[in-house]
Amino acid sequence: MEQNVKEIKKGIKVHILNTDKFKTNLFALFLTKKITREDVTKNALISLLLRRGSKTMNSQEEISKKMEELYGASFDCGIDKTGDNQVLKFYIESINDNYLPNVNENTLKTIIESLLDIAFNPYIENESFKEEYLEQEKNNLKRKIEGKKDNKAKYAIERCTEEMYKDKPFGLYKFGYIEDLDKIDGKNLYEYYKELINTCKIDIFLSGNVSKEAEKLIEDNENVKSLKERTPDCVFPTNEEKEVKEENIVTEKMDVTQGKLVIGLDVNLSNDEQKYFTLLYNSLLGGSANSKLFQNVREKANLAYVASSSYLRYKNIIFINSGIEISNYEKALNLIKEQIEDMKQGKFTEEDIEDNKKGVISAIKTIGDEQDTEVIYYFGQELTGVSVSVNDYIKIIENIKKEDILDIANRVSINTIYFLRN
Amino acid sequence: MQVIENLKVKEKLYIEKLQNGLTVMIIPKKDIQKKYMIWGTNYGSNDNKFIVPGEQDVTEVPNGVAHFLEHKMFEQENGTNSLDVLTALGVNANAYTTNDHTAYLFECTDNFYEAMDELMDYVQHPYFTDENVEKEKGIIGQEISMYDDYPDWRVYLNTLEAMYHNNPIKIDITGTKETISKIDKEILYKCYKTFYHPSNMVMVISGDFEPEKLLEEVKKRLITNKPSGEIKRIYPEEPDSIVKKEVVQNLEVSIPMYTIGIKDVENNNKEDKSFIVKKDIGIDILLNLILGRSSSLYQELYKDSIIFGEQSLSYEFGKGYAHILISGISSNPKEVFTKFKETVTKLKEEGINELDFERIKKMCYGNYVREYDDVQNVSRMFLADYFRGICSFDYLENIETINIEYLNQLLKDVFKEDKMVLSIVENK
Repeated sequence: MEQNVKEIKKGIKVHILNTDKFKTNLFALFLTKKITREDVTKNALISLLLRRGSKTMNSQEEISKKMEELYGASFDCGIDKTGDNQVLKFYIESINDNYLPNVNENTLKTIIESLLDIAFNPYIENESFKEEYLEQEKNNLKRKIEGKKDNKAKYAIERCTEEMYKDKPFGLYKFGYIEDLDKIDGKNLYEYYKELINTCKIDIFLSGNVSKEAEKLIEDNENVKSLKERTPDCVFPTNEEKEVKEENIVTEKMDVTQGKLVIGLDVNLSNDEQKYFTLLYNSLLGGSANSKLFQNVREKANLAYVASSSYLRYKNIIFINSGIEISNYEKALNLIKEQIEDMKQGKFTEEDIEDNKKGVISAIKTIGDEQDTEVIYYFGQELTGVSVSVNDYIKIIENIKKEDILDIANRVSINTIYFLRN
Repeated sequence: MQVIENLKVKEKLYIEKLQNGLTVMIIPKKDIQKKYMIWGTNYGSNDNKFIVPGEQDVTEVPNGVAHFLEHKMFEQENGTNSLDVLTALGVNANAYTTNDHTAYLFECTDNFYEAMDELMDYVQHPYFTDENVEKEKGIIGQEISMYDDYPDWRVYLNTLEAMYHNNPIKIDITGTKETISKIDKEILYKCYKTFYHPSNMVMVISGDFEPEKLLEEVKKRLITNKPSGEIKRIYPEEPDSIVKKEVVQNLEVSIPMYTIGIKDVENNNKEDKSFIVKKDIGIDILLNLILGRSSSLYQELYKDSIIFGEQSLSYEFGKGYAHILISGISSNPKEVFTKFKETVTKLKEEGINELDFERIKKMCYGNYVREYDDVQNVSRMFLADYFRGICSFDYLENIETINIEYLNQLLKDVFKEDKMVLSIVENK
């Protein structure tokens, strides 16, 4: 597993991941831009609008028909928040030509052209996005923003993030804000789109049974040719100093059966190497079935079905996540705090460390078994600026010692305790 | 071992039925790091009434036993928990329960045989005590509460309740807090002994393996050699009619969620298995013609901001039940339902368009091919299909035989208005 990267213009990279392991080819395009309160809603709206049609495929219906003709190529675009960036993601996955019933079909070329067309050659009338599409997508976006509360567990994590990052970029909601929609029209959004395309970081990934010619297909594409050089307007993560403050306790009421408890932890790191230690720390705390949270909150105290934690390496934070009986709030919270404290006291064995290392390493080894996982792995390296081969990655994990994890445990502090209840 | 090769996806299935009745399927995958093993029993939440082989009387158990059993299988007599042991090996282990089967599985890169030791050991050695059964009620109780907060799960279950009078498909897989309170270790042991015999089970393994050698490793770890008698499962008589046309539940959601259900007649009593596969593919194509991303109905509803994205389209079937489900979020579910019915009527009158048909067929073909890339997908698909009497390769083989005449007939036979229900979850 390896990638072949070429910076075709300043700020624009093509990544080729050549492998014959899969029956599908995956073509992905990521546009990365610093997330700001001013532009967050516009970016989200653009990602929805571009799916509606391009200059050569005028409507969603046309795009869908084309994808169906390509043996059900799946086309999708979405918006993500990665660290302090907003990422517009475009994907087409299609059956590789070796598995088509009719030989001599060249689907790869069509797929590359279609996706680049959708992203860089939108359907524009009089220097403006089509009003009809814009109105519909405003409705669609409004619905997505309001839909934030529909999945209560995700909502609780989202709310905890907002509390931890009040008035900061990472506290912004990736789909933006309803009050922005009125100010947006087809003309000013198209103006902004042009600015976005000229200033964002562009990464193009092609994974599958693809030859050198595929790279040329991308480079020679008219839409790509017309892109300008740029110094990307995006943020590379740093290990920002975290201020340890008193715990922020937030309780919110909603019509729920089960209480959702989310605890946001700050991890105060001083270098990038510590990110690997934190990965293992998280695995011990709540990242696996052998973790302290799973064992003590679920298996021993039987307070929860879900009791886990996850590490966001771009921001050096950990979320502890649990669904509990509302009356058990105090009990569960104290028990969770006890687990964080026990980690600080070093109450974990060499065996615990070794067991958790195996799980983490196994996950690293399978990165190359899934196309989208591999693409995201390399994209993550792009954004962090840290390039590590899978083998080196495994070695680093293998060499982590108890004191490294203990050091991390003592860099952890509770930032916010969020509880959603009825 | 019997070898079935499929040239379309260039994959081979090695299959063998052992002396004790266990079916083993192996799908080798070269150059993949991941190895996946899944061991399933043909026993799910629907199997609540049965006659134990060798007995005369009917046994009836509370709802939720199959799922409860799944949770409890990990506990071992020596005080260890197999989930912990597997996790400590660095493998990713799990289990799940559906309406018709329960499965235990792991995915790994290293320590495959050690993990296989543990998996095969714990599935063959139940250990239930009053105490460990009691404590699980707290954990499962929270799992039940979690599902109560999922509007998509509620809208699904309500659809089944609107369609089925008696069939147990309509019961929640987990049971309720009330039904699980009645579960004790005697019930668990009885169900275990009945349904966890190798002759009621299937094992699927996929990864970079030599199949014959792997089969020997499986055999070494099996403790029962004798086949067992037949389990008689008793399902209640189910009328063809639906229960009610519409069901609405109030939950705090930003926009209504809906499911349209179309009750169908049972397929699993058919001798000819290609009948089911053809029908499943046919319905897949029909649903995409009616409400897929390129359909006129989809475009119309999207333009009017009634729907906002792809709707989920599926056909579920098993012992004593079969139905179509169409779900999504919508600003006006009733309008979706009305327009859907109108479109079906029109399509019945006008017949299916040749070009649309060919295009959607290509799409479905591609979707079937895609299933074969991941060891987990492949293994789970072969397992689930096996319990429905199907070899997964048959989808690739049968799709070519489908023509417009068949689809026009299928549309008339299955998409009947008096069999349609609408379930909605919306704000108060």
